[in-house]
Amino acid sequence: MKKSSILGIIVIAIAIAVIISTYSNTSTYGSFKDAGATTEELHVVGHLVKNKELYYDPTKDANYFSFYMLDNKGEECKVVFTGTKPQDFERSEQIVLTGQMRGREFHASKILMKCPSKYTEDKLEVTEVSAKQANL
Amino acid sequence: MNTVFTGEHLLPGHLGQAFVILSFGSALLAAISYFFSAKQQSDLSDQSWFRIARAAFFVNTFSVVAIGCCLFYIIYNNLFEYHYAWAHSSRTLPVYYIISSYWEGQEGSFWLWTFWQALLGNVLIWKAKSWERPVMAVVSLSQVLLSSMLIGVEMFGERIGSSPFIMLRDAIEAPIFSRPDYLQYIKDGNGLNPLLQNYWMVIHPPTLFLGFASMIVPFAYAVAGLWQRRYKEWVAAAIPYALFAVMILGTGIIMGSFWAYESLNFGGFWNWDPVENASLIPWLVLIAAVHVLIVYKNTGHSYFTATLLTMLSFVLVLYASFLTRSGILGETSVHAFTDLGMFWHLVIDVLVFLSIMVGLLIWRWKDLPFSKKEEETYSREFWVFVGSSFLALSCLQLVIVTSFPVWNAIFGTKIAPPANPITLYNIFQAGFAVVVTLFLGFTQFLKYKRTEPAKFFISTLVYLVVAAIISAIIIYITGLYKLKVVFMLAMFGSVYGVLANAKILADSLKGKFKLAGSAVAHIGFALLLVGALIAAGTSRVVSKNESGVIQVKDFDKAGDARENIMLYKNQPVDMGGYKVTYVGDSLVAPNHYFLVDYKKVDATGNVIEHFVLKPNSQANAKMGLVSSPDTKHYLFRDLYTHITAAPIKQEQDLAAGATEVAEDHAGDDKKYNPPVVHEVGLGDTIRFREGYMILRNLNKSPKLQNIPLGKNDVAVGAMLDVYSHDKTYKAEPVFMIKGGNTFDFARKVDDAGLKIRFTKIIPSDNKFEITVLEQPESEKSYIVMRAIEFPYINFFWSGTIIMVIGFLMSIFRRNKELKVS
Repeated sequence: MKKSSILGIIVIAIAIAVIISTYSNTSTYGSFKDAGATTEELHVVGHLVKNKELYYDPTKDANYFSFYMLDNKGEECKVVFTGTKPQDFERSEQIVLTGQMRGREFHASKILMKCPSKYTEDKLEVTEVSAKQANL
Repeated sequence: MNTVFTGEHLLPGHLGQAFVILSFGSALLAAISYFFSAKQQSDLSDQSWFRIARAAFFVNTFSVVAIGCCLFYIIYNNLFEYHYAWAHSSRTLPVYYIISSYWEGQEGSFWLWTFWQALLGNVLIWKAKSWERPVMAVVSLSQVLLSSMLIGVEMFGERIGSSPFIMLRDAIEAPIFSRPDYLQYIKDGNGLNPLLQNYWMVIHPPTLFLGFASMIVPFAYAVAGLWQRRYKEWVAAAIPYALFAVMILGTGIIMGSFWAYESLNFGGFWNWDPVENASLIPWLVLIAAVHVLIVYKNTGHSYFTATLLTMLSFVLVLYASFLTRSGILGETSVHAFTDLGMFWHLVIDVLVFLSIMVGLLIWRWKDLPFSKKEEETYSREFWVFVGSSFLALSCLQLVIVTSFPVWNAIFGTKIAPPANPITLYNIFQAGFAVVVTLFLGFTQFLKYKRTEPAKFFISTLVYLVVAAIISAIIIYITGLYKLKVVFMLAMFGSVYGVLANAKILADSLKGKFKLAGSAVAHIGFALLLVGALIAAGTSRVVSKNESGVIQVKDFDKAGDARENIMLYKNQPVDMGGYKVTYVGDSLVAPNHYFLVDYKKVDATGNVIEHFVLKPNSQANAKMGLVSSPDTKHYLFRDLYTHITAAPIKQEQDLAAGATEVAEDHAGDDKKYNPPVVHEVGLGDTIRFREGYMILRNLNKSPKLQNIPLGKNDVAVGAMLDVYSHDKTYKAEPVFMIKGGNTFDFARKVDDAGLKIRFTKIIPSDNKFEITVLEQPESEKSYIVMRAIEFPYINFFWSGTIIMVIGFLMSIFRRNKELKVS
């Protein structure tokens, strides 16, 4: 057998190994209900419940931030994040949490939030413009 | 209805839009005529296509530059009737950042890309000689696709591209635009994202885009080689350009990493963010390609792999721009662009070049110069080839994981990325790094064609043993042994890579100087990995501290890392061997700097080290609050500090330590704890929570503004020295009797959180009543910060610089070879 064929086989074998191990490492998008059923970390997509309390008081604990999120199935759950409150959190449109349920709280290890893009989004513009109009 | 709008400057926009169309048209013409002129390459009598092609490309270059000028004029003159200027600039933006606002938006960054590509096209016209026609046909085609991104004209109901010259009133729907004089109400633009107001933002994107743009050149040469059946010749010509692309793109990527480290709050220098990966992937593939190209040039082996990797690297550049610009990464990346409605346009761009690659390779398959003879086992070409294959494989992992949203979009699945992607990437990439670094070490002891096995094994083994000893020492000292084995192996490989190439470098200094370039680049790359491994592997959060933390119910769970520390103003906290104090603020608009004082004290209480870091936050009314870190650089480690939360104050509140007259607002007192009344005599001490004060003397004629004193009126000031947290403040509250009524004027010592009133004089005892109001703990100024130590990170940066120097040396060498042959 030619050396290059052997090499080819090795490369393909590694490629398959990479794909399989990557796939087995993937997480899933789920709801709070799914999170309650498993001990694995998973991703929950949803949005902030804006009329409930966002709790962050650094004078008490600089590493405790909690809020309520409604997942895409419509279930509400208290979320606890060990860290500081991300800037502009109130304005987030969508939140992707990574974490797991502990008791009745969802403990997030990562929060990714989608804001109305602050810099190019045109929504901001409209409020901006109307605010100026009020100055008249 | 046609409204005539007042105050608009339509000329620069119309002119700009005309140049956008012209650049597209001329690129198309250049591509077509280069294509036909390349087909009649042999027939030199008819140069008409060729002349048209060159002229068209020059027109294209001119119009690209003109687009840039129009855009500059619009932004520089604050013509906010244009959406681009409004969205990315503002009146207060300093001139040097106008440059950055060019590439903050997608349109501007596409323009930058076409600009570099036009420039490179001109270099090729000047240098490429017999390659000009086919190579420029490909470059022009790429220019067509890029300039089509800027057109922004509706055709068949679809808007094609996005123009930087779109008017604000066309870009946005709002009732205000029905007014002819709407422009009066648009006073200022949105401004540049404060995070991007950084000198790195001025140079990082142009470097990165020059890197991307220059990757078209090796691709075009590969296409030309296949197309014109000049299979062997293109390789030598393409190598210097490929090296150039690798050097520039590598510099651009590391600049981005340095920028992120210095002024963004990611908490590190590499995050495996999809956007970072998107530029890393083509870079690694092109590096693999360069190696195989050199193998082919020297031995005639591996032609197919060399061509495939070269072409693939450019297709991956386009794929990267699709990933970052189509909005598909929305759920997985923090800093991808948002979709501008160019999703399918970008897909087409990738598909066009992908099909050129696949089509040409199939078309010419039978003609490809496959080598009949097998490579020797003890030959450099074989092992360089294997190493490069592994480098390309490492990209496969990056591509698969980064592309999860794409797989989901194609197959309709809902797979989420790994819960802890960074760990996953680190482990995988470290594994590949082990192989790659070992290869870039031992291939140095191999010769092309055939090597004496005995000699090879001896030198390889000697260096392996030395590398094992050195890396064991490094692993022990840095504490890397606490990590997974794969990281230790990667360290071993990197050390081995440095040593083996150092030997080659030493040899080359004795005479074979032309080999120095690759040795230097390899040393740089291996050092970079050494730095990255130690800095990322053993970085530790030093701000883990429990002080000042009141446990919140239901919160105290084991295993939660508390990485943020809370500092009250002037209250020192012990943290990672330092005494850290938040001492004050300084405001240089738009930055709010927090002065964090670090002191290291030895056992006897002597200060052995003292410095102040100034992490800052920008409180921007439009964009909210963004933080930038500050870092203390030591030779062998960095101490990185950034603010994670703070109550941002307005400027007027910042007058630190000021004592100002406070009228007796009851409301103001609510901010304080209940007053405590002390009766004291001269020289007596009053204690409070954070210090003490001494009544030194009385001032019989205190200064009172605008209050004339009558004959029977009395005003007395109590001269107090206030000691709090090793600092002394003076305060002089005033007691006054005017027209038979008593008044008092309180004084504040904000730094100590105090308000002091002189409320009564008791002549019988010769005592004075001083009322002290203290701010409750929660009302005091505080910051929440995180501090991380990155050991040996300078290896990472210096490795980069060494690597770039190595690339530069190689470019000169390969260029020289080109002239000789």
